[in-house]
Amino acid sequence: MAYACCAATKNILRVSQLTRLMSVYPSHYVNPIVEKNLQSSKGNELSHIPIKAAPNDLNDTIFYGQLKQKFLNYITKKGNAALAKELLTKTFEIIKRTQIERLNLGTADQEKVITDPETLLVNAIENSRPLLTLSAIKRGGVKYQVPIPLTERKSYFLAMKWILEAAREKERKVKLPDKLAWEILDAACGQGRVIKKKDDLHRQCETNRAYAHYRWS
Amino acid sequence: MALRVFALNLIKTNRNLLQSSGKINGGCNVQVVTSAAYATQVTVEATPAAVQKQKVSKAMKAYLKRANEHDEFMKTQHLDFQIGKRHLANMMGADAETFTQDDIDEAIAYLFPSGLYDKRARPAMRSPDEVFPARKAAEFDETGRPFHSMFYTGKPNFFQLLHDIVTETKKLNDLEERMLRRGNTPDDNQKLETAGFQLLPKEQLERFLVEHIADIEYQSFCSSMDRLIASPYAYKSRAFIERFLKPLIDQSKQLEVPKPKIDEQGRQYVTTYECLRKTARADVTVRLPGTGKITINGQDISYFSMEQSREQVSVEDLMYPIL
Repeated sequence: MAYACCAATKNILRVSQLTRLMSVYPSHYVNPIVEKNLQSSKGNELSHIPIKAAPNDLNDTIFYGQLKQKFLNYITKKGNAALAKELLTKTFEIIKRTQIERLNLGTADQEKVITDPETLLVNAIENSRPLLTLSAIKRGGVKYQVPIPLTERKSYFLAMKWILEAAREKERKVKLPDKLAWEILDAACGQGRVIKKKDDLHRQCETNRAYAHYRWS
Repeated sequence: MALRVFALNLIKTNRNLLQSSGKINGGCNVQVVTSAAYATQVTVEATPAAVQKQKVSKAMKAYLKRANEHDEFMKTQHLDFQIGKRHLANMMGADAETFTQDDIDEAIAYLFPSGLYDKRARPAMRSPDEVFPARKAAEFDETGRPFHSMFYTGKPNFFQLLHDIVTETKKLNDLEERMLRRGNTPDDNQKLETAGFQLLPKEQLERFLVEHIADIEYQSFCSSMDRLIASPYAYKSRAFIERFLKPLIDQSKQLEVPKPKIDEQGRQYVTTYECLRKTARADVTVRLPGTGKITINGQDISYFSMEQSREQVSVEDLMYPIL
């Protein structure tokens, strides 16, 4: 039986949070607040409640980005996060060099050329996010491809997954940072394989819009 | 002849019936007076109330017996406790008259050292009032009429409490109405502090009310209290509310601030031993007229080869650890 306090802290104290099944923490432990500007406002309440340890992935510096961290997690294989970080750093270096070159060549519009790789990564992910997907729903013995909306989390996941998939489809001699850099640059500009995949999916959803009502029986 | 005999027999049976009915009706207390052998009429005279015998039901009898037994038991326990306290004081060589509960706890911890983790499992000697659960005093008088109007709910104290909460909420709502009409706002300085408190847990509430409560009933208590506390004028009912707020422990306030020592060069320093992070253990020294340099096992910050570790706490943030 969880306990309650005033309305503002109801969610913290009364309802058991979405806890993982095999968490080392008891259910009444709350997540830490890593952002320093939020610590003063919300930290006062948390000083009376047991808090879980902050994960090593999080920090409140200029080097941290939530989307970037998620992307790193997807690059990581067999727990080798250090290697993933190295690869992403090299990718960013290649992106930076390319963009600086473009800037200095002066062919394209000077103001529109973005040189910051973190911004370009975010732009690439945002551009390649699908909004709808097809779901096989059986009606009368036939499986129809029905367009259904995607949740925000799923769409971000798919965007990042597709970018990485496209980057890994390469020749043996080509290094991942090179390929990934080109994929990110393409997606940020609204062109390339990942954008094509997203557009194809959207087009399919549009053609199948007649079956949309199959989503609800 | 036959008729007369018949009539006489009738009268006899009547008289018998009246007498036996007088015996059956316990509370009746009627005295049957027959005016004459041939009379069929019976005059009844009820005895005055003062002479009436007290008829106590079996339930009442059992209750009284239990209550008396409990009282006797508690008296003997109190006596034992007092005697035990004096013996203990004598054993410890202290003055029996001024032997407080703290002294008792110390003495027991000394005489019966225990390595058990839970402090509640260790041997203790406490007043019988704390050891034995509280019982309710007489809930009804000798006639069997209950004192509390909500006795027949089974949990009069609990439901009375809920009614009290609602009364307070209504009072505060009316106050809010009046204040709004006048254009006044609640006083922010007097705002009720709920950050470091939680509502009384179910077990403690049960002990407070001396009644058993179901989970659903406890939930309704919680939601009623939440409503009352959420009112902007809740500070007006501070005394009522604070009875049901249990303070949470603030770990940071329990930490003792260590006093700085002085080293050979005259600088102040504080060393904290056994600092933990996962399986890492460190002894950290902070010096007051500092240079800002960090030394870890003779190395500088490059002791942490991983960039992620170095990003954890940047140099400016060393004073403010991540929560």
